[in-house]
Amino acid sequence: MLAAQTKQTKQPTEKCIAPERPFVLAVASAGGPRIAALNEAAEAAGLAAGEPLADARAKAGFLQVRAVDPTADDAALRRLTLWATRYTPTASPCDEANGADGFFLDVEGASHLFGGEEKLVADLAARLYRHFGLPARLAVADTAGAAWAASRFHAQNPCILPPGRQAEALAPLPVEALRLAPDTCATLRRLGFKTVGALLDKPRAPFAARFSAELLRRLDQALGRIDEPLVPIVPPPVYHSLRYLVEPVVTQDAVVALASRLMQTLTHVLTRDDVGARVLKLSLFRVDGEVKTLDIALTLPTRSMPHVARLMALKLESAAATDDAGFGFEAVGLAVTRAEPMPARQTELTSAGLEDRTERCAALIDKLQQRLGPSSVRHFEAVASHIPERAEMLAVVNGAALQSPPPEVAREAQVDSPARPLLLLPHAEPAEDVMALVPEGPPRRFRWRGVTYEIEHAEGPERIAAEWWRSPALTRDYYVVEDSGGHRFWLFREGLFGRETKKADWFVHGLFA
Amino acid sequence: MTQPAITFAGRDRAAVVQELRRLMPGMTELRTAFAFGLPALDSCLPEGGLPCGALHEIVPGSHATSAALGFIAALLAHIESPPPGHPSGVGVGREKLFFVLPAYGLRDHGRLYGHGLRALGLDPARLILVETARRNDTLWAIEEALRSGAPAAVAGIIDKLDLKLSQRLHLAAVDCGLPLFLLRPAHDLESSAAATRWRIDTAEAARDRFGLVIRPRWHVSLERCRNGRPGDWIVEYDHVAHRFSLAAALADPAHACRANQTNKAADRKVHCA
Repeated sequence: MLAAQTKQTKQPTEKCIAPERPFVLAVASAGGPRIAALNEAAEAAGLAAGEPLADARAKAGFLQVRAVDPTADDAALRRLTLWATRYTPTASPCDEANGADGFFLDVEGASHLFGGEEKLVADLAARLYRHFGLPARLAVADTAGAAWAASRFHAQNPCILPPGRQAEALAPLPVEALRLAPDTCATLRRLGFKTVGALLDKPRAPFAARFSAELLRRLDQALGRIDEPLVPIVPPPVYHSLRYLVEPVVTQDAVVALASRLMQTLTHVLTRDDVGARVLKLSLFRVDGEVKTLDIALTLPTRSMPHVARLMALKLESAAATDDAGFGFEAVGLAVTRAEPMPARQTELTSAGLEDRTERCAALIDKLQQRLGPSSVRHFEAVASHIPERAEMLAVVNGAALQSPPPEVAREAQVDSPARPLLLLPHAEPAEDVMALVPEGPPRRFRWRGVTYEIEHAEGPERIAAEWWRSPALTRDYYVVEDSGGHRFWLFREGLFGRETKKADWFVHGLFA
Repeated sequence: MTQPAITFAGRDRAAVVQELRRLMPGMTELRTAFAFGLPALDSCLPEGGLPCGALHEIVPGSHATSAALGFIAALLAHIESPPPGHPSGVGVGREKLFFVLPAYGLRDHGRLYGHGLRALGLDPARLILVETARRNDTLWAIEEALRSGAPAAVAGIIDKLDLKLSQRLHLAAVDCGLPLFLLRPAHDLESSAAATRWRIDTAEAARDRFGLVIRPRWHVSLERCRNGRPGDWIVEYDHVAHRFSLAAALADPAHACRANQTNKAADRKVHCA
């Protein structure tokens, strides 16, 4: 586990602030504004975090002050953590309880790619300083807790704790290194426990009785006695492949070519495990530290390199209008964030095989979705309701929908169903000047959208009661009517005459073919 | 499918090929045209049916957009049903149909209703709707759908089609051997490369003796047809059998009289078989 603590004093972005002179961020508190963070010059002037701003002004003489912006801090930390996924897929920003000023990287199994932990840490420190101007404190340890403690309180920076030696390494550190609440630390200090070492060989029962469970939990977490789950910033990929480039790439073609080469390496692993990719994530690491990610969802699991390359090209094309490559991308990563079983199957002799069609269909849907948006390709889904506008919804096509039921089932259902229009108006539109028998006769004449229709035939009514368990509504009597020109409409009268309503209103709800 | 024992010994090559063709219906089945099953109509079309790989334009008459859409749905359902001589319908009738709908296309007329499609004999589960925001996207989606070779047919709605665009779409349809049905508005009809142009108008539905609608009817005119003849019919459609028929044999003379009155446009001569 690697913990990086980045100095909270951000690089001042405003021109009017001189980085070499004392600069602090102030936060409002009970006794007036206090210092939340400060730069090196301010530290040199003898200021410390938590000091009242008025005292600080008196001490430093000249002081540049800005208000803390927690939202921007959060966003910056997330961006930084996302950038750090270039080292390992499992990166997690520190939450509030961890100080929210650094990130954890799970470098197990990843450090050898950089030539060992020392080299990885050195590379990380160098890049953090070069790209972001951040003088970071880094530590590597077996547990997240120990790494956190070492990154903040250990004399060395960077500090790499030997495996299994957390207890010895943490012993000389102050109790604050255990990530405890300030009042717990104060109590411990009052009782004479000033270092972690003082707590280590004491019996646990008295601590459990006198302190909140947090104390022992944090201690155990630091020493690796219990697990500490971290929430990764991006869902950990199932399969992952990353390539660092000697020369940054700028063009879309180059990115697509790289992505297809990454997909090729993934294909071998996917084939070995009999799975296919359902969701892919392409990460583009820009030279200046920004990370662009593209998510590609697929209708059916796939291992096909050309298919993924085409989708990438489409996606990049639609994203090109908004994003620019800047000075180019220095690393490109492709991850399979969701994989689904995809058994190997024999290709058929005839090209018109049904499964082949389904696959081509899925490929087409993927392509359409990349350009037109994920919700643009939909299909009908029947809903159990008698209210016409609720009896159906449009659902986004997924893999299961592509395997449609055999036609026999569908054909049985259609023989004895009541008449339904081909086109349903989004909202029933009022029909005017309706001439109909009162109380419950079919309409004889109506006007809709400025045209008067003389009805020759009317079929009905089909009475559809409202769903009382939803909002109260009126019963509808539906009629299929045909005018003298052969136009067929679906009209309804709202409300039962005399019982539900005094005056029946007529509406046009659909058009028949 | 049963697994008959195949013995090649002592048979000539032609017999073996014949046997293989019988076992694999997908290989031989290459339809070039879809017959309506109506001699009066099919005789006007080249090759005795609607060409399979071609662009077909459907133009609605006044206030007949739903009728035109109904005709497209009926065509889709009709070409989807297995041909009469087909052994079991394996692999036929299960392929998807793509319908490209621009967001502006049906705005005035509501939206396609799956239960209504089912009432026309088209299984809505087989239809995939593609919604597009711009005309360029519509054209792109239609062409992609055709070129992918995935669907059995593609339908679409388009607001404007010029000669160049229609040529492009027609060529895509020809290359892939898939029918493409395009609904285009009746105003500014520019010349196009489509194989056929149909104008669909409403007509009074076929009714049973209780006066209930049993089959929808359309006034169908074939306005343009490459290598064919134009014509004009009143066609009715049976959604259960996926069958077209001519509305000639009107049982009730009063109905026939009224039908003639409504379509009394002198230039349109109603052919009755």
